[in-house]
Amino acid sequence: MNGLLDVRVAAVRQLTPLVREFTLEAEHGALPGFSAGSHVVVHMPAPGRTLRNAYSLLGDPAEAQRYRIAVRLQEDSRGGSRFMHEQVNEGDRLQLSPPANLFGLHSEARHHLLIAGGIGITPFLAQIAELERRGASFALHYACRGGLTDAYRGELAGRLGARFAAYDASAGERLDLAALLRSQPLATHVYVCGPQRLIDGVRSVAASLGWPQGRVHWEAFAAAAPGEPFVAELAASGRRLEVPADLSLLEALEQADVAVPSLCRGGVCGQCATRYSSGAVEHRDSFLAEAERAWQLMPCVSRGCAGSTLVLDL
Amino acid sequence: MSGEATGAMLSTPVYAPEVSILASGRRLLVVQDAGVEEAARLHGQLSADGQAVELIALRGEAPWAGGQRGCGSTDLLEVRLLTLLSSAPVGTRLYVCGDETFAWRIYRLARNSGLLAEEIELVKAGSQRELYCVHCATMQTIGRETETTCCHCGVQLLVREHFSRRLGAYMGVCINPDQPYAENKA
Ligand code: FES
Repeated sequence: MNGLLDVRVAAVRQLTPLVREFTLEAEHGALPGFSAGSHVVVHMPAPGRTLRNAYSLLGDPAEAQRYRIAVRLQEDSRGGSRFMHEQVNEGDRLQLSPPANLFGLHSEARHHLLIAGGIGITPFLAQIAELERRGASFALHYACRGGLTDAYRGELAGRLGARFAAYDASAGERLDLAALLRSQPLATHVYVCGPQRLIDGVRSVAASLGWPQGRVHWEAFAAAAPGEPFVAELAASGRRLEVPADLSLLEALEQADVAVPSLCRGGVCGQCATRYSSGAVEHRDSFLAEAERAWQLMPCVSRGCAGSTLVLDL
Repeated sequence: MSGEATGAMLSTPVYAPEVSILASGRRLLVVQDAGVEEAARLHGQLSADGQAVELIALRGEAPWAGGQRGCGSTDLLEVRLLTLLSSAPVGTRLYVCGDETFAWRIYRLARNSGLLAEEIELVKAGSQRELYCVHCATMQTIGRETETTCCHCGVQLLVREHFSRRLGAYMGVCINPDQPYAENKA
């Protein structure tokens, strides 16, 4: 694939036993600028295949000479985060897709309510830099586990003061979403990033309190969860691809050099929509409408059912 | 609130026969004339479940709201509304009852203070509306008529069904292209 950025790992910091931060510099030339909330897809040369995971850029967008990302080790991961934790060291080379933003700040908002869960803190680090520069009103609420998934907590507490609140689950502290969302001034927009449970919680509590959808923004952080092996057949060529349990359909297609556009790799942006003509699909995206699912799927997260053959219009 | 008409010109506002009411959240009601039947009916719908409705009226008296009287001036009404909006939480809904001139003026004020279109419901009462002359950019107030003369440049105007939400006005265009300017201006 072309259009990829070649970068060198300039620094690695272990922030908690589960979270590692990487600073990336351009191999040649300058890195493209980015807006707050952007992510890049890191291409990891694992043995036998290339893994691709999306990570938010957490640096200040005004300082784009270096990119920073933070990776949480996922126990049940398909290998991407483990690779970043165990195989990538200072001086190593990686490739990135250029930054894309699906989680930008809303210009009409008078107040920005930011809610992070664990590693979901990362896009907000770029956003608070931007909000501080604009002199905008905001507050950051961080649900985490002390010593494990509370990266940047001390730094944020010092920097933001009363605009920051952390809720350490291991100390029994809980973020009360209903209380928080009930008392926000009109013209607030809420942004949430973190585990699906937190995103679902914010969306449903907000809806029940009368928040219009246009005020609620979220970014799902999950890389595709593993599933069962199945077979994908390409209608145009009749080629059959075995998709193993720990590879997404999109990754399997990419490995077979079948080009499918993608952006979020998390089933939200709609870029990778692919038609299929037969087969049983396990839909896991949050983009397609029910009716569209009869003939389309999002291969970045969705897959064929166990043991079945899925015929794609590719 | 106002959806888009099908059949009529796309930009003509359509006012829903029934407002939608949330189970929770604050309810602000702004009426142009507390004396009209539409205002009383809307207030009745909003308070049917026993929840409080905060009322601001421009004129008239509301026997259905403890005899509350209009504040008399649009400036004062707007200041009161902005004060209420600044203390209202997300989840609040704004209901506006009046003619199109009034309703869209309040609509723009509310949008400028950060409300989304989904948070505002308009109920039309009365037939007064604003007309924008596309030739000289003057606004004037009209009723139901479909033709009129521009009060500023004197052109004979056709009132098109094209409604601009930004201006809160219908577009008036020259009826006779052979006579684009009024004679006294020629
Ligand atoms: S890449 Fe965004 S939905 Fe698949």
